[in-house]
Amino acid sequence: MANAAIATAGAPTRPARYGSISQSRRWALRWSYFFLTLFAIFFLMPPFYMLVTALKSKEEIAAITNPWWVYSPTLSNFIELLTQNQYLIFFRNSALVSICVVVVTMLISVIAAFSLARMKFWGSAALATGVFLTYLIPDTLLFIPLFKMMTFVRETTGIELVNHWWTLCIIYPTLTVPFCTWIMIGYFASIPKELDEAALIDGATWMQTLTKIFIPVALPGIIAATIFCFTVSWAQFLYPLAFTTSTTELVLPVGIVTTLIKGDVFNWGQIMAGALLGAAPPLIIYAFLMDYYIAGLTAGATKG
Amino acid sequence: MADIAAPNSAVATRGRNSLHKLVQRKSTVAFLMALPLILLITILVAYPAGYAVWLSMLNKSMTKFVGFGNFQFLFKRETFWEIVAQSCLFALTAVLFKAMIGFVVAHFVNNIPTKGQRKWRGMLLVPWVIPAAMSTLSWLWLFDPSYSAFNWIFAHIGLPKISWLGEAGWARFSVILVNVWAGAPFFLIMYLAALKSVPEQLYEAASIDGATWWQRIWYVTLPMMRNIIAITILFSTIVTFANFDIVRVLTSGGPLTATHVFATWAFKVGIESGDIPLGATVSLFMVPILAVAATFILRDISKRGSEV
Amino acid sequence: MVSRKVSRRRFVASTAALSTAAVAAPFVRGAYAAGKLSVGFWDHWVPNANGATETLIKEWGEKEKVEVQIDFITSQGNKLLLTTAAEGQAKSGHDILAQNTFLPARYAEVLVPMNDVMDDLIKENGKVNATVEYLGKVGGKWLGIPATVGSQIKGPCSRLDYMKQFAGLDIKAMYPAGEAPKADNWTFDTFLKAAEACHKGGHPFGIGLGTTSDNVDTIGAVFHAFGAVLVNEKGDIVLKNDQVRQALDFYKKLMAFLPPDVAAWDDASNNKFLVSGQASMIMNPPSAWAVAKRDAPQVAEQCWTHGFPAGPKGRYAPFLPFFWCTWSFSKNQSAAKSLLRHLSTRDSAEKMVNASGGYDLPSFEKFTTFKVWAEAEPPKGTLYHYPNPYNHQILSVAAAPAPHKIAEQIYNQGIQTQMAVRYFKGEPLEKTLDWASGEIEGFMRN
Repeated sequence: MANAAIATAGAPTRPARYGSISQSRRWALRWSYFFLTLFAIFFLMPPFYMLVTALKSKEEIAAITNPWWVYSPTLSNFIELLTQNQYLIFFRNSALVSICVVVVTMLISVIAAFSLARMKFWGSAALATGVFLTYLIPDTLLFIPLFKMMTFVRETTGIELVNHWWTLCIIYPTLTVPFCTWIMIGYFASIPKELDEAALIDGATWMQTLTKIFIPVALPGIIAATIFCFTVSWAQFLYPLAFTTSTTELVLPVGIVTTLIKGDVFNWGQIMAGALLGAAPPLIIYAFLMDYYIAGLTAGATKG
Repeated sequence: MADIAAPNSAVATRGRNSLHKLVQRKSTVAFLMALPLILLITILVAYPAGYAVWLSMLNKSMTKFVGFGNFQFLFKRETFWEIVAQSCLFALTAVLFKAMIGFVVAHFVNNIPTKGQRKWRGMLLVPWVIPAAMSTLSWLWLFDPSYSAFNWIFAHIGLPKISWLGEAGWARFSVILVNVWAGAPFFLIMYLAALKSVPEQLYEAASIDGATWWQRIWYVTLPMMRNIIAITILFSTIVTFANFDIVRVLTSGGPLTATHVFATWAFKVGIESGDIPLGATVSLFMVPILAVAATFILRDISKRGSEV
Repeated sequence: MVSRKVSRRRFVASTAALSTAAVAAPFVRGAYAAGKLSVGFWDHWVPNANGATETLIKEWGEKEKVEVQIDFITSQGNKLLLTTAAEGQAKSGHDILAQNTFLPARYAEVLVPMNDVMDDLIKENGKVNATVEYLGKVGGKWLGIPATVGSQIKGPCSRLDYMKQFAGLDIKAMYPAGEAPKADNWTFDTFLKAAEACHKGGHPFGIGLGTTSDNVDTIGAVFHAFGAVLVNEKGDIVLKNDQVRQALDFYKKLMAFLPPDVAAWDDASNNKFLVSGQASMIMNPPSAWAVAKRDAPQVAEQCWTHGFPAGPKGRYAPFLPFFWCTWSFSKNQSAAKSLLRHLSTRDSAEKMVNASGGYDLPSFEKFTTFKVWAEAEPPKGTLYHYPNPYNHQILSVAAAPAPHKIAEQIYNQGIQTQMAVRYFKGEPLEKTLDWASGEIEGFMRN
């Protein structure tokens, strides 16, 4: 979640090779591959271990055979999970929450970013900075007052906010909107002024300028922001842990941690299968849109 | 779009009047467009942040104003000071290692031919993409007292078993290790982008001057990357300092309170033990750190503002 | 499979055709109650154990024409605790909610008195033990009905083979199936010697010292057996006494023979330790044995659940009751009481116990001799002594007899286990006591 995008621009594409390959250069290359392999093992070991465990039967796990290898692979953990109503509910809740949050966030932040980057009004510069600072206030500081605010809402209006998955759609944007707005301000600011001035003079409204010119031009930024937003909503753990309790209202991370790990009776095959499936959507999106994602994240790294 | 992009002076003069109106209306429209954002920030971020301060000054049943009573109460707790120390240790060590690993690995990736880089970059970024609560579960299982896969390896090469999460020192190590694992890829990707933006000529010039690789890093790479290193470290410090998922899933603060950080302790005190004001007080202790980081970042932002 | 609707027909006022029909008030259909009842029960660890509860409720719902909504709520991650807290604050929620150990006392003011139901049940089913009374009856008011589901004794579960091989103890002879225990020698001294022998044999006792329930329960019983009290009934901190020192000394000796990481154990750790074949003994209800039966049958065959060793002040075992409680803001209290009566008959209790494979333990005296405990296998009779059929042990809960509000915090924060760990790690005894005293002072906040 720690995205430090300070300025704008797309992905850096400058090739890194220079000079002729001398003897020492070849050695450097070999060492690089060697260490990269070591680090790749370190970075990929837990997901690999998750997969191995997910494919084991309960008996094989209990028997303490080689933990790094599965001798009689079985899909039973996945099948049991996916035929279990509860897990599917978690998945549905997570998907619904994430999609809602993405839509809400993008609507708010793209429009606001446009206004802050291009239109300016009294206090808009201060607001732009404020937006960024908001991103620095962690969820761990806000969950207690938010929890209390929800009880207050219930007492005064009777609307029950605690223990509903849709409450998360209201809360999560606090995590996503500031950063997405920030990225979008940067992207919009990099679009030449002549473009929108001309459009305005030709009689386009501000909204038209935004939809016809800015959004298409800043599309890579929008994609990056969308992915960011989805990833954050999918992974959020603290808010759902504090604000939802019934099994029908839980989202995936909390659902897996609280219902699959049952105090006394443990079922690590299923827990790992559940975690793996839960990690799948961000992984899949990332596999296809990696370059946009990285471009969005590192936007500004080159200018810094 | 070519015709739009090429305004002529005739249009400009004709449009001066309407442009004037436009500007007048513009600020209103702009304000309305930013309004949802303003509302969101005011109601769900600024207000609760202030509310936290108010809550921290109430008694446990929230019926009486006690001023700094909760702070005084905390200052007398040994556990509280332990948590302050742990939070700092946790954040500083984790960020340091994340930055170092990120820096080193970024160089390795940058060293290899360009066409292979995408693949490696993709693999190395995986820990950062998996939701932390999920990946921590696999670490939890790797560290399990009875079934630890690491201990299995150790047993086979004749090393003693380690109680990863059972002994205060190792538990702290494990929590930091998982945090580094999950966070280093972010540094890697930022540094890689920054490395690629360093002009080659500088390196060539350095080589011609006979600089060793170490000198090249010290005199060329580091100065060029100074800003991005500062920014990533600041950001990561904030996020690590406020971390919740990893500690919560891995140790829930145990053994004893050896791995509690501000966030997990605030959760335990505020939500689980039902002492909301005390929980709010604990979480407010993150503010000084955040404020320092924010000032630094703010300086950078204003710099950016003047550039644009 | 979490929420299910039973009987969609509307609830019609009817007399409760139950064993104790005489006292059952007729249910008055309120404007919003409309014959609906929502219940939140503890989500059972034993696979499929929820089924029996569900069937029983369905039966009742059909008979009484009440639509019942059942939620099974896990206690993992304090989910049940958080749900209870949220409902208590919101003044809305389930008509019946399962609350464990100290929770009924915490919400005493907003719970419906169950004295009418309890008086009948005690008449019918026999007495309940002092611990149930301490936890469930505050100021003469019964706060809930002791639930069958989830209530448990966390006694020792030993490996017959290891105990014989390393410690020379014939557990089966000490606790023979179908007979009274012959365990006069089963004292803390024997226990410590056995722990040492098994540790030397490479299969130590798996007794956790984390801050979760299993660990706290064990140390709670040990403290009771030494007569070690931290806070007395009046709420005075009295922990600087010799009994507490003795108890901590005992734990210090014991911990030397336990696995090195016990300080970080949670409720699942001891189960894993047993199932993986490493433990000679753990302190747990039969869920660990049940998992072993499923995943590692060769381990389950050697398991025997039995009584606690005796300390200087007697033989204590931890008993953890769940209560079924009804909020005072519930709209359908009479229907709730009727359902609770239905769930507390001998027949219902036996069905639940059976479904849980003998894990659940009703609190009523006459309910400790169901066939399932005598017949559970392998090995045959392994659970015979689990329900304490000969009243051989005094059932207790950690931190009693302190006032509930303080006791609950001592229990939830695992103060006793933390004391033991601190002392074991080399902290001077008096410093540990000072620390505990400071922590407990913090619990007096209000």
